[in-house]
Amino acid sequence: MGAAVTGGRTPLYDRLEVLWTLCYCAGAVLALRLFQVQVAQNMEYARAAERNRTQMIRKAAPRGRIYDRSGDVLATSQAAFSLIYMPGKQNDDAYLQRLARDLTPSLKGDYEVILDSLKRSVREESAIRLAENLPPHTMFQLSELKTIYRGIDLIVEARRYYPYGASLAHLLGYLGRMDERDWKLLKREGYRVDARIGKLGLEKIFERDLRGVDGGIRMEVDAQGRLKRVLENIDWQAGANLHLTIDGKLQRAAEVALHKSPSGKGAAVVLDPRSGRILALASVPDFDPNQFLQPESSANLKELPEFNLATQGTFAPGSTFKIITSAAMLNEGKVDPHDGIYCPGYYDAGKRRFLCWEKKGHKHMEFLSGLANSCDVYFYRMGIKTGGDLIEKYEHMFGLGTKTRIALPGEKRGNVFGPQARAARGLSWHDGDTCNLAIGQGEVLVTPLQMAVVMGAVANRGVLWRPYFVERIEYPGDRPEYRQKPEELGRVQLKPGTWALLDEGLQLVVKSGTGGQVFTPGLVIRGKTGTAQNPQGGDNAWFVAYANKEGSQEPEIALAVLVQHGGHGSAAAGPVAKKILHAYFGVEDGAPAPRVAKSTAAAAALPAALLHELRPAQPPTRAR
Amino acid sequence: MITLTRAESPGLRSRMDWMLAAAALGLCTIGTLAILSAASPLPYYGRVVQTHFVALAVGVLAFGHRSWLRLGHVTFQPTAMACICMVLVLASFLDKRANKAHTMPVFLLAGALVAPIALLILKQPDLSSTLVFFVMTLAMLFCAGASVSHLACLAGYGAVTLGLPVLWTLLSYRPEIAASPVAAFLAGLTHPGLRLLLAMAGIFAAAALLWRVCALARVPIHWIYFVTASLVLAAGLASAVVVNLQMKVYQRSRFVAMVAPEADSQGAAYNVNQALVAIGSGGLAGKGIFQGTQSHLGFLPERHTDFIFAVVGEEMGFWGACGVVLLYLLLIWRVVSAARLARDRYGFLVCCGIAAMFAAHLLINVGMCLGLFPVAGIPLPLLSYGGSSLVVTLWALGIVVNVYSRHYAFL
Repeated sequence: MGAAVTGGRTPLYDRLEVLWTLCYCAGAVLALRLFQVQVAQNMEYARAAERNRTQMIRKAAPRGRIYDRSGDVLATSQAAFSLIYMPGKQNDDAYLQRLARDLTPSLKGDYEVILDSLKRSVREESAIRLAENLPPHTMFQLSELKTIYRGIDLIVEARRYYPYGASLAHLLGYLGRMDERDWKLLKREGYRVDARIGKLGLEKIFERDLRGVDGGIRMEVDAQGRLKRVLENIDWQAGANLHLTIDGKLQRAAEVALHKSPSGKGAAVVLDPRSGRILALASVPDFDPNQFLQPESSANLKELPEFNLATQGTFAPGSTFKIITSAAMLNEGKVDPHDGIYCPGYYDAGKRRFLCWEKKGHKHMEFLSGLANSCDVYFYRMGIKTGGDLIEKYEHMFGLGTKTRIALPGEKRGNVFGPQARAARGLSWHDGDTCNLAIGQGEVLVTPLQMAVVMGAVANRGVLWRPYFVERIEYPGDRPEYRQKPEELGRVQLKPGTWALLDEGLQLVVKSGTGGQVFTPGLVIRGKTGTAQNPQGGDNAWFVAYANKEGSQEPEIALAVLVQHGGHGSAAAGPVAKKILHAYFGVEDGAPAPRVAKSTAAAAALPAALLHELRPAQPPTRAR
Repeated sequence: MITLTRAESPGLRSRMDWMLAAAALGLCTIGTLAILSAASPLPYYGRVVQTHFVALAVGVLAFGHRSWLRLGHVTFQPTAMACICMVLVLASFLDKRANKAHTMPVFLLAGALVAPIALLILKQPDLSSTLVFFVMTLAMLFCAGASVSHLACLAGYGAVTLGLPVLWTLLSYRPEIAASPVAAFLAGLTHPGLRLLLAMAGIFAAAALLWRVCALARVPIHWIYFVTASLVLAAGLASAVVVNLQMKVYQRSRFVAMVAPEADSQGAAYNVNQALVAIGSGGLAGKGIFQGTQSHLGFLPERHTDFIFAVVGEEMGFWGACGVVLLYLLLIWRVVSAARLARDRYGFLVCCGIAAMFAAHLLINVGMCLGLFPVAGIPLPLLSYGGSSLVVTLWALGIVVNVYSRHYAFL
């Protein structure tokens, strides 16, 4: 065809060379890009490919159990069926709406709520729990839907279960859904969007220990999400087990007794005066932590009594404070215990008249009878003799106004009342204030836990133990278990004679005084009643005590019982304390305890007499 | 010559068989067709145009392209065939006008020769094949000795024609940029109307003004440049409007996926993303043949056709992928060598065209897999699954072998 190009072809070859050069330069660009993608950015693309091909099916670790001191389970996990939704390829709005519409009748839920959960799941790209603890007939309906809709699945899950329901609820706490703030913090720690976390008490404090480490099955899946093979089967690691110092039976006895008390509101703290171990920590009204696990009940969360009266409630100690007044006046040598006074039923301090709770008067009183009968006039006079400063010093010595450092959030410190505290606020102190202070009225405020610690110190003659409730934490695997050691908050240094007198006086309270209610043959109980007036309503009833079996020397148990708005200490709080003591020492509750026949003690039960102790001479100087 | 026929198809035996049958058919056609076509190519021209009209009329809708022709049980892509025919026709045309290749009339005639086929393919619509066509035409004209300024005009025209629709598409996806007055003015030119006419008049007026300014500033630029520039711009603008009206939504989204992949991670960007993940996860040495997770678990779409390079990258790693690119360059180099050795200008031009065809396919396909180029339905010759592509590639290679062997005296 064309003539052979000889001379004229050189420029054309040059042009071909230009194109060829361009071509292999482009090839070099491709090679550079390959280097960038395959070598420089290899790691991130490899991760992306791994994310593509693998899917995890979580195997939730069972949450650690909580045991009481005898090994009885207080919180455990149970198997239950849950309906979950895992967002898949098909997650458009129309599909979700159809799914939500079909699920609504089976779950007896709200269409909007279900749809919202589904959408949230798609947004977070994380599986979500639509319902849990499903009854069998619902499960059958749902397994039909499972064949129609992709993404929904029925799984067996461990569900938290508290065998004793409301018992110890304030201490155990409960599990609840995460709110948006929790989720932001916890999603980095491997929590799923629908995970339950501890919301109160032990469940919250020990969330990280109880939770354990989730396991799972790592599978290879194809683009349609079909399983190709199992790559790895990672076992879960169970959560740590908590062993508490709590005595479950005692705890329940205390709660039952509080529920049966006149107002059905109150707190009881029982501890071991030898170490500070808490044997019972009851607060009533309480709630059933099991119900928090039902999704539908989340609406009435707000109304639940999460407030722990034992550690967060502060009250005037009333006559139980006379223990501290006695310690101050005896130990400082200001008062001879044999010095007697005459109680006409009132005492005039300056222009003001302070009444004794016994309108008729206690007649002749000295220390032991004064304490046993809780004679207010005796303590008015001896309090003035001792002086407010000294009483305040002893308040501090016994740890009032400071936290007991129990490992629960929100503990209250209470309030110390005295000349120094007054002066700090720029106010002056009068004899009338000393009268109020001597009988535990006025501005002094304590928590039931603080009173229990004080009773512990009286029982063991001086040691204020830091109260604790976790005996040991049992970790899975090789990690050594944690053991709580008793810890001293401080010591109260009193002369041995003072301790002996206090012990004798408190014993008399139960034997022949206001606490006669509680007397039990075979037990050596030292106690003190208290009736603290309360500007917000009915008087708060107190009973504090420590006890041991007849024959043994060392007190084994110290307790403080508060019945809110319960009325008189001996009538309202006494029976609660008695039931706790009987439960602890194993005394049969059949026959009524022998009543003390002494008139002064019997008078305590009389309504007219009650009114008097309820209404001391001076109205409280300050409201709580 | 080249043994790259590795069908990394998903194990479907029937596909392998069909591929082998196509290979055999291709090898048979090499000898016969090549010699015949090299002898007198022009009669094929009419055949090609005819085939395309048939394709448009009764074409099977496959992958949104009306580019598949069904003959009994065999479907066939006439576009691939058109490539070869265009090379032969254009080579023959330019060879006959060897001495006048640099003149305007020859240049325009060559354009007129290619335009109907290009328009037909564009109408299918197959933007990427049109681009291959464009590149091949430019390369052949360049090698035939066409004037560089003419080529620059053509390249400019092509750039405006294809570039403006892309720009408009991107503007429509980025409303915040479209708010600026210049962008708003540009975006307003998408439809034929008074505004378009005004814009064209504006181009000419601007060119005239610029010429006056240059003249006053005593910058000696001939007026013909201004006229040409404005003509190219106006023509480009006009055809850009046509292309823009023809463009399908999926084509637009491919451009967007290229520039802003985050806009649509499940749609158009998904393919490129998965291809990049496949290639990137291959690393230096690759995951091993048939061990690729992206390809064998179905995450990589079109893994046996358009995205086969991603499979190579994943399973054979950096070395394997570079090897494939090198082999292609070697192949192109051999074609270029054949062009150098060709006994006549016709053979030279045919080889240039075929080399350009291979180069365009390589760059567009690999560039697409590497995210350097918008997604385009272009196979990687000799590697992608597809009978039409294989037959045509082998045919083209046969022609090259033909040209190469004729440089010896005994034929």
